[in-house]
This record gives sequence, C-alpha cells and structure tokens, in this order.
Amino acid sequence: MPVWLREHSWRQTLTAVYLSLPLRGARATPANIFCSEQYLKVSIPPFLFEAILYAPIDDANSTAKIGNGNIFFTLYKKEPAMWDSLTLADAGKEKLQYLRENAVLKAQEKAKEETEAKKFTKQEHKKYALEATMKVEEAERKRSEDLKEKERQKVAKELEFWKNQQKDADKYKSVPKKEELHQEIEPLKERKNEKMNKSRIPNEETSKIRLKSIKGHGSCSIFSQNLKEEQLPAPRAVATIKVNFTPRVFPTALRESRVAEEEEWLHKQAEAQRRINSDLSELKDLKEEEKNPDWLKDKGNKMFAMGNYLGAVNAYNLAVRVNNKLPLLFLNRAACHLKLRNLHKAIEDSSKALELLTPPVPDNENARVKAHVRRGTAFCQLELYTEGLQDYEAALKIDPKNKNIEKDAEKIRHLIQETMQSS
Amino acid sequence: AAVPERPQVVSHIQQALSYTVFDCKWVPRSARLLCLGSAARGTGLVQLYELHGARLELLREIEKPKPIKCGTFGATSLQQRYLATGDFDGNLNIWNLEAPEIPVYSVKGHKEIINSIDGVGGLGIGEGAPEIVTGSRDGTVKVWDPRQNDTPVANMEPVQGESKRDCWTVAFGNAYNQEERVVCAGYDNGDIKLFDLKTMSLRWETNIKNGVCSVEFDRKDINMNKLVATSLEGKFHVFDMRTQHPTKGFASVSEKAQKSTIWQVRHLPQNRDIFMTSGGSGSLHLWKYEYPAQRSKKDSEGSEMGVAGSVSLLQNVTLSTQPISSLDWSPDKKGLCVCGAFDQTVRVLIVTKLNKI
Repeated sequence: MPVWLREHSWRQTLTAVYLSLPLRGARATPANIFCSEQYLKVSIPPFLFEAILYAPIDDANSTAKIGNGNIFFTLYKKEPAMWDSLTLADAGKEKLQYLRENAVLKAQEKAKEETEAKKFTKQEHKKYALEATMKVEEAERKRSEDLKEKERQKVAKELEFWKNQQKDADKYKSVPKKEELHQEIEPLKERKNEKMNKSRIPNEETSKIRLKSIKGHGSCSIFSQNLKEEQLPAPRAVATIKVNFTPRVFPTALRESRVAEEEEWLHKQAEAQRRINSDLSELKDLKEEEKNPDWLKDKGNKMFAMGNYLGAVNAYNLAVRVNNKLPLLFLNRAACHLKLRNLHKAIEDSSKALELLTPPVPDNENARVKAHVRRGTAFCQLELYTEGLQDYEAALKIDPKNKNIEKDAEKIRHLIQETMQSS
Repeated sequence: AAVPERPQVVSHIQQALSYTVFDCKWVPRSARLLCLGSAARGTGLVQLYELHGARLELLREIEKPKPIKCGTFGATSLQQRYLATGDFDGNLNIWNLEAPEIPVYSVKGHKEIINSIDGVGGLGIGEGAPEIVTGSRDGTVKVWDPRQNDTPVANMEPVQGESKRDCWTVAFGNAYNQEERVVCAGYDNGDIKLFDLKTMSLRWETNIKNGVCSVEFDRKDINMNKLVATSLEGKFHVFDMRTQHPTKGFASVSEKAQKSTIWQVRHLPQNRDIFMTSGGSGSLHLWKYEYPAQRSKKDSEGSEMGVAGSVSLLQNVTLSTQPISSLDWSPDKKGLCVCGAFDQTVRVLIVTKLNKI
C-alpha cells in the first residue's frame, strides 16, 4: 500500500491554481509526475499523491517546479472560475477509476499526436531543405550555362571577324594580281625560257599553268616562288622497300584471337617437348639419340614412307615410352596400325591423339582432321559405319573444303542406307 | 566558382549531310572546308562549304564515280591548293577545285581501297619535293611525286609469299631539309613501321598488339620529335622520336582513354604538344604532352635511350553516338576544328583558352 501524501496546500486565482506538495524527503523527477486535464498524480514509491481536480486545467501550459523537498504546481484553469475546493469531493470509487483511465488514455493520445506533429514538421523541413538545395544547384547550372553561352558568342564573333579578314585578304590579292601579272610575265617568261634548258623541271606545261594561276602575295614572292621551284629536287629514284610483318603463331590481331586457348595449347606443346618419362632404368642402354622422341619420330616416319610398318611402330613405341605427351606420335602410330590392319589399336591411338590435341585451336586443325579421318577409317573397316560416319563428319566440320573427306563421307552414308534397307 | 580555366570545346555549327562523310579538311588560308565521302548510290562526293555566321553554306558539290575515302592538301602550293584524294577503288587523283572535271594527276595506285593519304612539301611548310603517300588495304604503302606519272617513287610492299596485312594509316615526318623524309605506316595487326626515304630502308618497326588506326608526327617539317599512334581498344602511344636505341627503339608512353577505338589523332598546328583524339563512342579528348626533365639517358651499355614524358587530359566532350572518324584543325585560326562522324553530321568546333596552356 502506498503512503499517501496529504499535507498539500493550495491557493488560487481566477485563472490559476497554485499547489504546493511537500515530499517528506523523497526525491522527485519529472517522470514521477503525471498530469492530464482533470487528474494529477505524483508517484514516488512508496509515496503517492493523486487528485481529481475540481475543473479541467490546461495541462499543456501548466508547470511543476521541483525543489527544496517540495513540488510547486502552477495549474492554469481552462475556465476562469473560482474553485470551491482542489478536488472533486464526491468522487466515487468508480468515477475515480474511470477518470484515472481516461486520464491515462488522454495522455497517450496526446503523446501520439505530439509525435505525429513532430514527424510532420520534420518532413516539412526536409522538403524545404531539398527545394532550397535544388534551387541553389539550378542557379549554379544556369550560371555555368550562361558562361558557356557567353564564350560561344564571343568565339563566334571572333570567327566572323577572322573570316571577313580572310575575305578581304583574298580580295586584295586578286586585285593587284592582274596588273602585276602583266608586268611580271614578260621578264619572267624570258627567265623561264633561259632556264628551261638548265631547269630540272621537264614539263613546260606545268610551269606555264603555275604562272597563270598565281594569285600572288606580291611581286617579290613570285620571284622567290620561282626560285624555289627551280631548287626543288627531281623526283626520287624509284625504289622498293620490302616489308615483313610481325610473325605470330596465330596471325590475327589481339582482339580476334582466342588468346587464352592458344596460350594453353602452346604451353602444352612446350611442356610435352620438355618432358621425359622418368622410367629411365629401362632406357639406360639406349643410345643418346634414341632417347630423343623427335629423332625417333623421324625414324618412324621414314620407315612408314618405305613401307616398313612394323619398324615404324617399334620406333613410335619407344618414343612414346620416352615421352607420352606428344600427340603426333600417337597420330602416326595410328596410321601404321591402319596399314597393318590392327584396327582396334588404330582406334585407340587416334583417340589418344585427339585427347592430347585439346584445346582445339587453328594451329592443331590439321592434326585433328587426320586423327578423325584415321579413326573413321578404322571404324568403317570394322563395319561400325555409324561411328565412322560420326568421325568423318567431325573432320568435315574442322575442314569443310576437303573434297576427299566429303566423298568418303558420302560413300559411308550410302553404305549405311544399304545395310539398313537390307536388314 | 570562377570562369572555367580549362579549354572548352564549343560546338559552333552542326550540319547534317545526306551521305557518309569519311574525311573533312580545311582549305588552307580560308574559312572554307571540304567534306569527302560516299553517297548512298555508291558514288563519291566532294562538298565545299564556307563558314557563314552560325551555319555552313554549300558553295560547290562535285560528284565522282567512286566513293572517296581520304584527301589531303599537304603536297600543293598555297596558290594552287589542289586536293589529292584516295578512293575506294585504289585511285589517287589530284583535283583543281576550280576545274574539277578532269584531274590534274591520276593513277590507279593500288588494287584495293586507299585507306589513308598524306602530303608533304606543299603549303609553304617544309622543304623538298612535294610528295604524297598512300596506304592501302592491299598491304602496300606507295609514295608518289605529282611530277612523275604512273609509277610511285617509293613502294613499301610485303615480301613475296608473305600474307599481307591491311595498311590503315600513313604519315610523313622528319622533312626538315630537302633530302630527309620518313614515312610512318600503321597496319591492322598492330605493326608500326618507319621507312626512311633518304636511305630507302626500314628504319624502325614495332608492334602495339592492336590494329593501328591513326599515326601522326607532331610536325612534319622538323627533325622528328614525337609520334602518336592510336589503336583499337582505346589505347594510344606517344613515342619520343629524338633518341633511337639500337635494340629498344623509341621510348613511349601509352594511355588508355576510351573504351572504344580511337579513330584519329591530330596535333594542333599552332602548338605541337597539344593533340586531340577522336573515339568510336563519339567523344573527343584533348591532351597535352609534358616532356620529362631529361629527354634521354644512358642505359647500362652506354647507348642513348629516350625517356618518354607524360600525357594529361585537358578536356573531353561527347558529341555524337557514332564514331567520329575524321578530324582536322584549321591551320589559320587557333582552336578552330572540323570533325565528321558516321552519323552523317559534320561539326565545326572551337576550342577556347588554348592560349593559356
């Protein structure tokens, strides 16, 4: 149960009520005071003071002063009238309750309204600030536009002036031309005829044309012009300079090339060249040159050309053991196996070659075409015509202009149709 | 803020054309300009305009059977002002614009389109014989003298059996006396080759990986000082041409400016350290080159090698959505330039405040 504070004292005027409430030692803060139109409460636990006021007051303007262990309220009445007492005497319990609740509600509403009002004013301020900035920017822009306009006009005027100057200059040039030309032509013609023999300018016509069309800066320059003419060197002796263009592995400009893929391919090739299989124990008894896969490849090629297919296969096998990353070895071995009718081995080797020939770039086009053709042939000889046709079509895709591949592909298609019809 | 201090690019006149314009050039000593291009029906067009207040006035229109790709006034005298053009068929013609029916000089110089043309020895600039150089898609670069018919005076062609690369751009340089002259050519595979015409040999070559769209020396008529080469993919290189190292060639600095191809580079005739690049996204960038403290230094073996400086961007502006394929500064008025773009528009621009740089 709270301790009621009852030793308050009050006095009033027509418009205001002055209420003094001693606090019995408790310390008060503004949060402890609750006031609405007709209800006043001071709650400092455990102390409590509440009053249902006789008549409504203007709680917005009323004040409370805290100090000296005392709260001094200045309450402005809504209606100026003398109150019989501070509180409503006949306040029943329900009325008290109702009034309390009402008061709280009213206070809450007021608080809400206040926040709304605050928000509204804030928005208004923002809008105003925005408009102000916009105006300032507009003014700034207009100013720079004006400056530009002024520049433009000034410059246009200067241009007109200069143009007229040019026009006048031209006029002046053309007027004396006729007179001077008559005077000058006679002595000039004589000089010209003299110098004709010695002059290095072979064409008489051109020099005459030059005389006629001279607009002339003045007499002295005509002379100096002629002097200059005769001092002009003869046309150069005809010569040719041969030009080489920068070699590139891929002859396309930077933006056309698929640089990343090409780099990868080059890298792979370089790697492959450098690699040697580490299984050197078996290779110890080989001669130095026999360890070089390129040399072995050449040997193999020669034997293939001579018809010694088994020998060629041996050479390629050894080369592969030394370095199994060179696609050409597999490609050539596939050709040998084809000749030897080892068709499955041919297919294996062509497939391995194709694997090594990724990524697909213009540089390894030829090799890929060959690999596809060889594998296709092997398939056909095994009577697996559909697979063969697939390979031939792949080859055609890379090299569409090759007539042989086209012919063979056609043949295979016919074969497939015949077998389908007969089965 | 104060009045802007950087040079501003002011678009003075825009003229819509009814044909594709490939090249635009100022007529020297005048306020007139030429537009060269290809009409829709496959013929070539040369139009002569004059600046007239806020617009261009068409003075003359000349139609030729083949579309015209490029032109130059570089090899004619100031009095004659003959225009040399290269067309889509490989013909080099020199025209007198007062009487354009018959060319003053004509030769079928190349088997394929002439991509680029340059002239030297005319207009009172430099010394030596007037010559024209053409670079073509057939991979050859040929130097012509208007006094010699039918055969070029120099021919830079691929070795027998070599697959040819398109030559996209040519430029004269180093023409500071009567004997010296070099031609620089850029190819579509990124090769840049420097040919010395006095010794008739290849003086230097390099490869900048991307196709070279445009090369230009900062001045044709001085001891070669700087060379700018622009390429695809937005890069350009500035080479310091004063010091050639025996193996490393010329020092260079490169800059990646725009995301798209840089079609043209042109140096300001009145200040050789300022140049403008035009891009495939319709933008123009104005650059200034700053020299390093020391232009050459000795390397570890004691031979001289050049030191490249630095490039700073002064201004950039986007004028169009289509590439600006041609650009020309007026030799008579500082800051006046004309550019032609593939949106069939030619624009006259004025760059202000170039005096303050």
